[in-house]
Amino acid sequence: QQTTSVKGTVVDEKGATLPGVSVMMVDQVTKKQESTVTDLKGIFVFNNVKIGNKYDFSFNYVGYEKKTTPAFLVNPGTNNSILIRMETSSSGLNDVVVVGYGSQKKTKITGAISQVKSEELNKYAGSNFAQQLAGKSAGVVINDASAQPGTDPQIVIRGIGTLTAGVSPLVVVDGFPLSEGSSLNTVNPQDIETVDILKDPASAAIYGSRAANGVILITTKNGRSDKNTVSFDFYTGAQVRADKVELIDGYQFAQLNTEARDWGYVSRNPTNRSVNDDYATRVSKGANKRDLRLNYIQPYLNNQAGLTNTDWLDEIFRTAPISSYNIALSGGNDRSKYYFSGNYFDQDGIVIETGLKRYSMSFKFDSKLSKSFDVGLSVNPSYNLQNFFQNDASRSSDAIGAALIMYPFFPARNKDGSLAISQQIAANTPEDGALGENPVAIMEKTKYNRNLFRTFGNAYLNFKPIAGLTFKSLLGGDYSNSFIDFFSPSDVGEYRTAAPKPARASETKGSVINYLWENTLTFEKSFGKHDINIMAGTTFQKESGNSTLVSGTGIPDNNIDNIAGASSFSVVPTRYIWTQLSYLTRLQYAYANRYLFSAAIRRDGSSRFGQDAKWGNFPSVTGGWIVSREDFFPKAGWIDLLKLRLTYGKAGNNQIGNYSAYALANPLNYVSGSTLLPGFAAVNPANSSLSWETKTSYNFGADLGFFKVLNLSANYYSMVTSDLLLQVPVPSQSGYDSALQNVGRASNKGLELELSGANIKLGPLSWNFGANLATNKNKVLELGPGQNQIVTGTNSAFRTKVGGPIAELYGYNVTGVYKNQSEIDNSPHVAGTLLGDYIVQDVNGDGKITPDDRMGFGTYAPKITYGFNSSFDYKNFELSFSINGIWGRKIYDNGLVNMESGEGFSMADTYYYQNRYHPVNNPNGFLAQPNTNYSANRLNTNASSVFFQKADYIRLRNVQLTYNLSPKLLSKLKASRASVYVTANNLLTLTSFRGFNPDATSDNVLTSGYSYSNYPVARSFVAGFNLTF
Amino acid sequence: CTKELNQQPITSKSLANFLTTETEVEEYVNAVYGTLQLNGLYGLYLPAIGEIPSDNTFDEVPANDGGMYGQLDQFTTVSSNGMLSDFWKNSYQGIQRTNTVLNRIDGISYASSTVKQARKGEMHFIRALLYFNMVRVFGNVPLVTKETTNPNDYFGQGRTGKDLVYAQILSDLSNAIQELPVSTTVQGKVIKTAAQSLLGKVYLTLGKFAESKAVLADVVASGKHQLLADPADIFALNNKNNNEIIFAVQFASGINGNSEGSSAYQQFSPSGTISGAKGHNLPTKSFYQLYSNSDKRKTAYVGLTSAGTPFSTKLKASTTTPADGGSNFVVLRYADVLLMLAEDENELDNAEVAKNYLNLVRRRAGLTDAVQQTKEDIRDAISLERRLELIGEGHRWFDLLRTGTAISVMNAWFASQNITTRITDHDLLQPVPQDQIDTDPAIKQNP
Repeated sequence: QQTTSVKGTVVDEKGATLPGVSVMMVDQVTKKQESTVTDLKGIFVFNNVKIGNKYDFSFNYVGYEKKTTPAFLVNPGTNNSILIRMETSSSGLNDVVVVGYGSQKKTKITGAISQVKSEELNKYAGSNFAQQLAGKSAGVVINDASAQPGTDPQIVIRGIGTLTAGVSPLVVVDGFPLSEGSSLNTVNPQDIETVDILKDPASAAIYGSRAANGVILITTKNGRSDKNTVSFDFYTGAQVRADKVELIDGYQFAQLNTEARDWGYVSRNPTNRSVNDDYATRVSKGANKRDLRLNYIQPYLNNQAGLTNTDWLDEIFRTAPISSYNIALSGGNDRSKYYFSGNYFDQDGIVIETGLKRYSMSFKFDSKLSKSFDVGLSVNPSYNLQNFFQNDASRSSDAIGAALIMYPFFPARNKDGSLAISQQIAANTPEDGALGENPVAIMEKTKYNRNLFRTFGNAYLNFKPIAGLTFKSLLGGDYSNSFIDFFSPSDVGEYRTAAPKPARASETKGSVINYLWENTLTFEKSFGKHDINIMAGTTFQKESGNSTLVSGTGIPDNNIDNIAGASSFSVVPTRYIWTQLSYLTRLQYAYANRYLFSAAIRRDGSSRFGQDAKWGNFPSVTGGWIVSREDFFPKAGWIDLLKLRLTYGKAGNNQIGNYSAYALANPLNYVSGSTLLPGFAAVNPANSSLSWETKTSYNFGADLGFFKVLNLSANYYSMVTSDLLLQVPVPSQSGYDSALQNVGRASNKGLELELSGANIKLGPLSWNFGANLATNKNKVLELGPGQNQIVTGTNSAFRTKVGGPIAELYGYNVTGVYKNQSEIDNSPHVAGTLLGDYIVQDVNGDGKITPDDRMGFGTYAPKITYGFNSSFDYKNFELSFSINGIWGRKIYDNGLVNMESGEGFSMADTYYYQNRYHPVNNPNGFLAQPNTNYSANRLNTNASSVFFQKADYIRLRNVQLTYNLSPKLLSKLKASRASVYVTANNLLTLTSFRGFNPDATSDNVLTSGYSYSNYPVARSFVAGFNLTF
Repeated sequence: CTKELNQQPITSKSLANFLTTETEVEEYVNAVYGTLQLNGLYGLYLPAIGEIPSDNTFDEVPANDGGMYGQLDQFTTVSSNGMLSDFWKNSYQGIQRTNTVLNRIDGISYASSTVKQARKGEMHFIRALLYFNMVRVFGNVPLVTKETTNPNDYFGQGRTGKDLVYAQILSDLSNAIQELPVSTTVQGKVIKTAAQSLLGKVYLTLGKFAESKAVLADVVASGKHQLLADPADIFALNNKNNNEIIFAVQFASGINGNSEGSSAYQQFSPSGTISGAKGHNLPTKSFYQLYSNSDKRKTAYVGLTSAGTPFSTKLKASTTTPADGGSNFVVLRYADVLLMLAEDENELDNAEVAKNYLNLVRRRAGLTDAVQQTKEDIRDAISLERRLELIGEGHRWFDLLRTGTAISVMNAWFASQNITTRITDHDLLQPVPQDQIDTDPAIKQNP
């Protein structure tokens, strides 16, 4: 029999050639098998194929549906060619999911694990993968609370179950757990292959005492033995302000400020005072400074044209560039693989003088030394340079906070272009208007650089003495070195302080070394219908950190812009060590590929806990049943997959201070003459039984695949956190305000739905989508002994009460504005209530307004979160977009309190201006009358329904249009893939929230949703290309 | 590896192995004194709590700092007032620290038993002082005299009757008098006459004039103190802890990264005069007009801004930044003792002796002797003299409370100033901080 050759090309849906596809050829007659893989151009060749025989071809490639071409008849000649188009796996059944200390096929997963892939992530241009996760996975909420470049967003997985311990999930990069709260900006998102999120504590329990807030497993890209590639990625674009804050202009503010001062003056003694009293009369009648009209205000009140009318938000915000340059080389041979990347990321902030530059590299190398030994090494160095300001609402140093007390009557720059310094302070001093310094000058003149060098990585050795048994020893390390350089020169003032002021300088140097040594033994075997996988191991991790803050004063001039110019110094040294020692084991068992079972236990010891309570156990049990694989299950139906899952497990949270179990005595010095008398006093009580808080959870889930293209995954969970690490407020006569204790319980319950569809053909279009929706409800079940509630925060506006949700907004209910005296006289009110003040509801009906009339108004934690991602492919074009949304959120924004309270001190927004009550100028207004007189009524109602605002939003997170070059063009370029794209991030946000940022919150769980001048999320437009050889 | 799990604090001390030697107890004692410097106590708020409600001082911009000073000034205080909250917390921090030292010191060997006795006396004095302030501001307050082992023990304790609190104060002070030395080489430490003077003030507050007189007479008899010839010298920065001063909380500018100063000078300066000035607790114009032109104190104690706003000059400008004021805050001084003695004698119907004490203070101020004859007139004269002499030292409101004249005096003053406010019994005690009630509902609010 004569032979010839069969040649074929394998391409993906977009026509790009696919190297590395395994191809198997079976002779129908002889049943003889032969296999090969496609080369760099996606081509495979079989020689010595018998003419006239029929062959079955099958094509296999990770992430793609298996494809077969049965009964291919081989003809004489050389034109036996096949073109195979592989399609991405719609069921994802072959996907491998990382589960911690190993990985598992997606079919065998029993817990609640979400996987997000690189392509999905990198559609959002940003420095931080967490930003890119928004809306991608049910139950994972990303709060970009302060969107300053280089700041980490808050990641909340399945609600917050802790009150005063940390809320960060554990982030594990290639097996190395990063310290909780350490910056995620040091991971280049373009190096990430997949992000797997272990949402239920049972899945996470293998990470024990650090897993209660969920675990995020990052797998970085790796080289492949069958192809060498070079890939360039570049994008650049611009970011603009997209928030809804709208300030009034100078003429409006002049009117508002005068209304406030006039009424403040008159309302103190209406019988003796009149709005027409002039300055001198007011002074003689005992007016306080804020009862006087601003000395320079009259021209504005007269509507004189051409006066200075600065919009300070325009001054501090700008259009800012963002760009990223990435190169990745990868490849290998049958023994070794490598991946090497370099990235330069440069983002200016939309607030002036802010930005992040990051240089990062990643290097990964794996090699088979022999049949039984593998080794690997990865190193990820990065250097971050951040131009920074503390986004803490300080009127002296936070550009946004400072701008909100800047009156439009003053310019940012003088006519000659120089910075206008301290003009408002000088002008406002006589009548005590806001003594604010020009924030443009503050930002330009203040130096605040934060540099961070970090490198982390690991090295491992695998030893496989016999088939199925692997011993792995992994040594991980993380080193970071930070340097913070601050200088505030004398020639710019600050809040209430005109320049020249004493210059200030400080620097902080710190370093952290963290290492991990982990040894695991894994045994994997299939026999008959049984698949088992047993893993056991130990890990030890230790971190030591130190930092030294040096502050300098006595700086005679501004020549040296760092602490070297100071003549006297104070030093605050900080050092710590924490250690953790753990033992873990896990059994995974599958019977007949349809009954799934696993059990795991981890035992953790931590240095952070009390002498009597260092050790904790974290067990988990899970089960699954793939119903659709049962014989009784109809094969021909529209349901392709039905899987039921159940998990139970415990995970812990150890995020407290390193020495919280001790009664710490800190310096509290005294002085005698000029001699310092060193003193130390206890600042917190000891608690030798302090231990982890434990989250116990049940997760019931179901996975459904139908019509070959749709997948539905549903999870219901119920979790109870017990032994809360709670900073319990205690009666102050104890000498302490609070004590850290393991008391109290809180629950979280919710439902998560994820629906995805892949390769849905809509005529010439191919459609992929993913939709997710999650609900969460938390409830406090128990607090400290004898304790019913914790009320805390600015204006005591947050309450965490047994039976209620965590951190509900708490205050008075306002029902209107007093417009005549008889209304005041005939309703309960606090002493000193004035016309134009708020009518407060007497909730308990006792005829008085007291703190007992406060009530709850909802929480920051949203009731429902959802996301929708979609992409359409048409020929070489791909249009994708992603939406994320939040429903049932409330925010207490103190910036809005200042802008809308009518005190006439801060700037006001247009909403307040248009809706304020004034008997003459705006008689139908429903917000309190402008009044400088800070009555008890006004003070109380600063925490009230007026300021507890809905912050629901639906956001078009990104839209991207990509053009993939055709294979023809590609071959001309000798490239395997090339694409150009344009992207818009945060193009549209629909929200009724009037503040800067509907994701704004404080870091403190008990005051979740407290915000003030939080750095807004920018809208950005970028264009980029990818070129892969 | 398991050993690695035992990590001791590296840059803090742990109370478990602290307070074991004399040196360490001394550090704790220093911290007790350091507590007195906190904002809630003599660092800032307490002087204002003791004076701003009165006719002596007022708040120039009542809305500043969330209105917390303005509320006290205008009798619109809400229970969330931050000054009262800090005052409450800082007081109990101090009390607890004295309890800790008193609980442990007996078990620790000291090189000198006199020093050990002195420390106990200092702690007894400071605890009494803190409780005395608390009870005058709030009425009943929780009484705790043991070292805290478990802070949860205090849930449900509630407020202790003020009789019991006063009993503790009297007991602490009589202990202190026994334990304290007559003098000290370390400036600013509590000495015996301080405990005697405070005890005299407590008795006076309780209306026990004879007991007050007896113990204050001991202060005079000690010969330890005298009136300085020139009132301008009393508060001079280069004359701290002079003979007239009996007890003062110590502050200094430019020490240890500017950490030992007080921001009271800055906060109590008329707004706009120096950076960060807030115009809190300024002498009223009507008060300033009470000084006769021949009164040396008119210029020695009070200054005027270019706009004519009076301010107390007892707190001196800082030599570094405005918030790092170096003036000590005087808690007890000899002029106060003499005026208290005058009051005791007058109430005990010894008019002439009373006037003798009064005249000592008047003569020093460059004034002629008092001419009042009736008990009531002398009482008023002493009251006026206390205002003129002790302006800015945080006494006036407590004096009005003590003499039962707060309501009548204040309402008359409001009327004279065209201020619409009127006060009643309700206004004589400050509201208990809401955060205490929110934490433990066993703490009940004042009516």
